[in-house]
Amino acid sequence: MSQTTAAEAVDVFGPDSVLRRLVNEARWGLAVTRATVLEAAHPQIGAALMENSTFVTHPWRRLRNTLVSTQRMLDPDPRVRDREAARLNRLHARISGTDPRGRGYDATDAEARAWVVATLFESTVTMCRLSGESLDGPTMERLYGECRTFLALLEGDADRLPATLTEFWAYYDDMIEHRLENTEAVRVILFRLFANVPAPPVLRGQPVVWAAGRAMAGPVAAAVTIASLPESFCRRVGLPDLPGAGVLMHGAYLAAGAAARLLPEGWFQAGSVLSLLDPAHGGGAAPWEAVRRQAGRAAALLRLITPAPDRHDDHDDHDEHDDDATRSADRFFAEVLDQTGNGHLDWPDLAAMAREIATRLDLGEHDEERLYTAYAAWWRELQSALDGDGDGRVTRQEYAASAAALPSSGLIKIADVLFDVTDTDDDEEIDAIEYQNLFRTAFHRDLADSGAGYSRSAFVRQFVSFMSGRQHSTAYHMLLSQA
Amino acid sequence: METTKWLPRHVACVMDGNGRWAVQRALPRTAGHEAAESAVIDVIEAARSAGVEWLSLYAFSTENWRRPVGEVEVLMRLVRRAIRKHAPMLHARGVRCRFLGMSDPRIPPPLVRDITDLVTLTSGNRRMTLTVAFDHGGRRDIVEAARSLIRSAVPADQVTEAGFARHLPYPDTPDVDLVIRTSGEQRISNFMLWQVAYAEWVFPEVLWPDFRATHFWECLDAYRRRQRRFGDVRRPTTIVREGLG
Repeated sequence: MSQTTAAEAVDVFGPDSVLRRLVNEARWGLAVTRATVLEAAHPQIGAALMENSTFVTHPWRRLRNTLVSTQRMLDPDPRVRDREAARLNRLHARISGTDPRGRGYDATDAEARAWVVATLFESTVTMCRLSGESLDGPTMERLYGECRTFLALLEGDADRLPATLTEFWAYYDDMIEHRLENTEAVRVILFRLFANVPAPPVLRGQPVVWAAGRAMAGPVAAAVTIASLPESFCRRVGLPDLPGAGVLMHGAYLAAGAAARLLPEGWFQAGSVLSLLDPAHGGGAAPWEAVRRQAGRAAALLRLITPAPDRHDDHDDHDEHDDDATRSADRFFAEVLDQTGNGHLDWPDLAAMAREIATRLDLGEHDEERLYTAYAAWWRELQSALDGDGDGRVTRQEYAASAAALPSSGLIKIADVLFDVTDTDDDEEIDAIEYQNLFRTAFHRDLADSGAGYSRSAFVRQFVSFMSGRQHSTAYHMLLSQA
Repeated sequence: METTKWLPRHVACVMDGNGRWAVQRALPRTAGHEAAESAVIDVIEAARSAGVEWLSLYAFSTENWRRPVGEVEVLMRLVRRAIRKHAPMLHARGVRCRFLGMSDPRIPPPLVRDITDLVTLTSGNRRMTLTVAFDHGGRRDIVEAARSLIRSAVPADQVTEAGFARHLPYPDTPDVDLVIRTSGEQRISNFMLWQVAYAEWVFPEVLWPDFRATHFWECLDAYRRRQRRFGDVRRPTTIVREGLG
């Protein structure tokens, strides 16, 4: 028995894991962004991203999930690692299909998954190199070994990645030269995502500040990312070589490296970034809390000194408020239903909702399966009622025209499952803590004045009203539309 | 620092007399509200420079909703205009602004937004805290506190004054030391009922639009001359604070 416990306690990455250290630094975000472009250039991954991922509409949520998932995969506790690996495998098993050119893609494809890990390894090495602190030979060897272990945790073995580092570079160059393509996903990331990225949760209340900052930072981020990509890849894919982009890129990486070394510990840890991406991490202790407050004050001052008030404005604003309250079907469709941002509602949108809720609540296999099944039932109901032309998707107009009149038995099923998985103590009532786990928000507002918990019937009623666009709910909106 | 020793820590003003001021000049009542703005700014500056730490102004009561719709609308617009006009100045002077009440849905959303912005902007200031009672009712605050207390399931025999006060809005607000009610009217009018329990009251005859820094100093002087006993006949003078501050 004691032997089993000892074996279970083995930290396969080792207590001084290089990968764990680097992943916990905020600058690793630069590596992830760069790696995502290289992943997206893989035809299978690019197709899967375009068809299923919410990275365009909800990039911050996606980034947060990636960071949390990676940290769990690197956790010293094997139970946490295994649970996360199993969750990722289940998640990937649900993603497959054919791209617009008729080629099949499958998120469990071993070659594609090896490429994901390869890009993370190479981008981490590049991040260190460009930050002015190259990894020495043994450290790089060790990092590569840890990346292979990472892949083995997912795949069962690491055979798809070359055994030695020397062989890896040949494999990597070959992939860049022969396998990668100028996919739509690459173009979307570089030319659409950076320019239109929605505000992260921390700045959601300051659209003016965000829009002004993004107008400057969007093109810079795109230029920095492109300049950091391998030359041969840029040539093949035809990416622009902007004057000064190289200097900008080196400056950005050096600044990130210097920040990691010089600024107080904690400021540039991944946990601090997570606190910006997740409203639940709003505690005053977070080192970025001061920045968050200052941004809020700057935005408030900007709004107050901007000329606006007049009696006519009052009426206009009032109308706007009414619109907000009733939530126009169009906005509801774009922000809540169309998770993948492709302009229509199809199964990947509903799967993305299920995926987000399952991730948020860290559901086990059984509950996750129930949730997906409920969403699938709703999808069948939507298809048979709304998809008139049978093309497997529901347009915005089709949904807006008849959503409120649907029988909503599928939605009730989802609400039922959602209630069960949220009500962890099975007392048939969702209390404050359970509510917070689901919505990451304070208890008031949607719970009326009762002060008590949420009964099953009230929960189901509100969920169905919200999902059919009949009633606005801040909490559900946060849950499903959070970027 | 003999002066600050005798200074009230928390001063509250019931800004009465705007309507009468206008009627005396054959102007519409709303002109009185308009004229009140400069008195407000004057008093804020006088209180701040005198070293008062907490200033509360009774701007709009829950009962004021009964006034003619047109007057309420003008009042809302004036408040919004004043907030936008003076926000940078208040921030620069280190004044932290708070609004007490503010629960009626009839408050125009643009005004709510501006008030929220003002509160956010000044939240880090500490030189003086300005509490504007807007859509405020003292009884309502107490009822809300009672509800909150019941919800927190504190056993009845463990409910204390200090414990109860923690359920009031802005529980860090100290007791009011001095209330100034202009225009000679001598009523409480449902104003911060819990907090004014031990306050000294002065009732200057001057109407609020005419109230200026000099009147404010006179009121501080009147306070200085009074002996505060908090019900204790043996205690000769004022400054000892008790209760929730």
